[in-house]
Amino acid sequence: MIISFKNGVKQLKTNKLTPYLFLIPGCTILGAFIFYPMLQAIWLSFTKYNMVTDAEFIGFSNYEKLFNDDLFWQTLINTFTYVIGVVPALVILPIFLAVLVNQKLKGIGFFRSAYYIPVVTSLVVAGIAWDWVYKENGLLNYVLDLLHIINEPVHWLTSTQTAIFAVMVVTVWKGLGYYMIIYLAGLQSIPEDLYEAAEIDGANWWKKITRVTIPMLMPFVLIVTIMSSIAAMKVFEEIYIMTGGGPLHSSETLVLYIYNEAFDRLNMGYASAAGVILFLLTLIFSIINIKFMGKDNTA
Amino acid sequence: MKKGFLVGLILIIAMVFVSACSDSSSGGEEAEGSSDSEKVTIEFWTMQLKPTFTDYIEGVIADFEEKNPDIKIKWLDVPAADLSQKILTAVSSNTAPDVVNLNPTFASQLADLDALVNMDEAVPEENRNKYLDGAWKANQIDGTTFAIPWYLSTEVTLNNTKIYKEAGLDPEKDIPSTYEEAKRVAKVVKEETGKYGYFPSMDLSLVLQHMVKMGAKLTNEDGTKAAFNTQEGLHAFQYFTDLYQNDLIPREALTGDQRSTIDMYQGGQVATFMGSQFISQIKENAPDIYKNTLPSEAITGKTGKKTISVQNIVVPKQTKNKDAAIKFALFLTNAENQLEFCKLVPILPSVKKALEDPYFTDAGENPEPEDLVRIKSAAQLDESELLVPPMDHYDELRQAMFDAISASMLGKKSPQEALDQAEKAWNEILSQ
Repeated sequence: MIISFKNGVKQLKTNKLTPYLFLIPGCTILGAFIFYPMLQAIWLSFTKYNMVTDAEFIGFSNYEKLFNDDLFWQTLINTFTYVIGVVPALVILPIFLAVLVNQKLKGIGFFRSAYYIPVVTSLVVAGIAWDWVYKENGLLNYVLDLLHIINEPVHWLTSTQTAIFAVMVVTVWKGLGYYMIIYLAGLQSIPEDLYEAAEIDGANWWKKITRVTIPMLMPFVLIVTIMSSIAAMKVFEEIYIMTGGGPLHSSETLVLYIYNEAFDRLNMGYASAAGVILFLLTLIFSIINIKFMGKDNTA
Repeated sequence: MKKGFLVGLILIIAMVFVSACSDSSSGGEEAEGSSDSEKVTIEFWTMQLKPTFTDYIEGVIADFEEKNPDIKIKWLDVPAADLSQKILTAVSSNTAPDVVNLNPTFASQLADLDALVNMDEAVPEENRNKYLDGAWKANQIDGTTFAIPWYLSTEVTLNNTKIYKEAGLDPEKDIPSTYEEAKRVAKVVKEETGKYGYFPSMDLSLVLQHMVKMGAKLTNEDGTKAAFNTQEGLHAFQYFTDLYQNDLIPREALTGDQRSTIDMYQGGQVATFMGSQFISQIKENAPDIYKNTLPSEAITGKTGKKTISVQNIVVPKQTKNKDAAIKFALFLTNAENQLEFCKLVPILPSVKKALEDPYFTDAGENPEPEDLVRIKSAAQLDESELLVPPMDHYDELRQAMFDAISASMLGKKSPQEALDQAEKAWNEILSQ
């Protein structure tokens, strides 16, 4: 840097380049582990590839086969069901939790970490524990029976009607704490003087929430919506562990379908094509989210 | 625009850098392998044997290295669930291990891709003859042998005699050996105790095995068309649909993997299931259930067929030390080493000589359930065979059948409609 002071023009050039130099390490890692595999997958989606013999270019055949595959459409519907079921819960419920744990109470740290525990719990362990909760003679049926809500055990994970919803609950349970922390950060970033100003203007607590808290939280709602919908689109572990996609594919989502095609059946090209579709859907979803929800908060 | 261009440029440079890196590294390894002629290193992968059998495997490796000072074995144990993915990744990146423990189903997929050494050529005839015929043939697809058999097991049924007594049944007489008897047990136990009498697992390839035992033929002779849409096939679909819809078997039969089966047996919820391979686990986790466990011969249909499962050893074609790899594979599976292994866990050896040991015929005084499992298992080895041989597109076929029988059991289709659906799917897959 000292050398560059000698020459004004040179200095300008160096300064312009410096930020990019700093970007190189990050970009290299992203390039190697994200963008390169992504491009590779797009290329593979046009080939017939089984990981052992060389990839053979077959044009759009994989996509053609994909669109004619009933199971693909079913997993797509399941994926959307999952998004529609999980995202509103993950956007709204953590706000309440965040407001709750934002109180100045003794031992509030305990509650904050308690709500956060599911996030750091291994999904494999949680999945098996929830499996027991949902069993025919499990905890949930027992409690519902005690409360006289049901007469005979509900087959939570073994019926085509309920399996996917039962797994959704686990996703929500696991995600609550994570999004709560994001909202909590949001709540704490709202300056106190805004509330004071509102008070001077004669706002009651409800007005303060609707006119100060919620508008100030909107950027965080946007982030949570995008993050949770992308996570819901890519859901895998819960389903893999708890139902394996069954019964009769009723809880099989797109990622599980991709996994099965790729690693059970070795149809890498075909699975890549499904992966590209998933990528496009996620992209469209994010764009819609940003367009619709980001409008008022571009400042 | 300019910024975007620059970022793009950096990305491209990064990618070129990365791909150059990966190329040079694989090249380097090759050079290393070929130049090192004095002492070769063999990479050996097993399927989930650590930590229970660490001492045994390390012992075998030490013996081998002592006898072959020019060969060094590098052992890696891989969780069963990850093995297929790991081996695929290794093969596709040209870094395959030299000796791998697989099962015939997955190995046949690799063999189908011409990734495995043909053992008919690689193993001298005098060695080949040492293995049980059925075990050797279990690793064949389209007439070529893609693996050396390692250890075997035949299915032995485990019965919780306490539940039998609770239901007023006599464990000595009423333990089922056929599907029809199992159905009867399921009914009586359900009525008398509310528990499940029978838990047939439908996991993985078991649906196909059930069908073959009940007398259905899966395909025609040359494997080009489905052949199970017959009276026997229908009977199999009808049988499981009846059991399921009358709540005589747990609903987990359709979604559960083996974990839920063992969970329920260990929890005293199930009277009879085929799962002798888990006997040690039951002994450890549920000693009370273990005490009341009576092993019996496999449940089968009118064909009397019983199934054998085979663990094998393959040598990927990519190996640079084929001779050393085969040498180690033969050493690992020789009579002496297999017998020692069998004494640690209820499995059966794949070599004839090891099987002659009294350990497999004489249960001794006051035999434990574990000993009985071994004796029963060995006794029915002669009448057991690989019921579902390796087939091309095996995973798709298996899934199609599972989907069809699921639809029937869940009442979405009648058994006949479901069978028609399976036949159509199979014909499509087989014609590929």
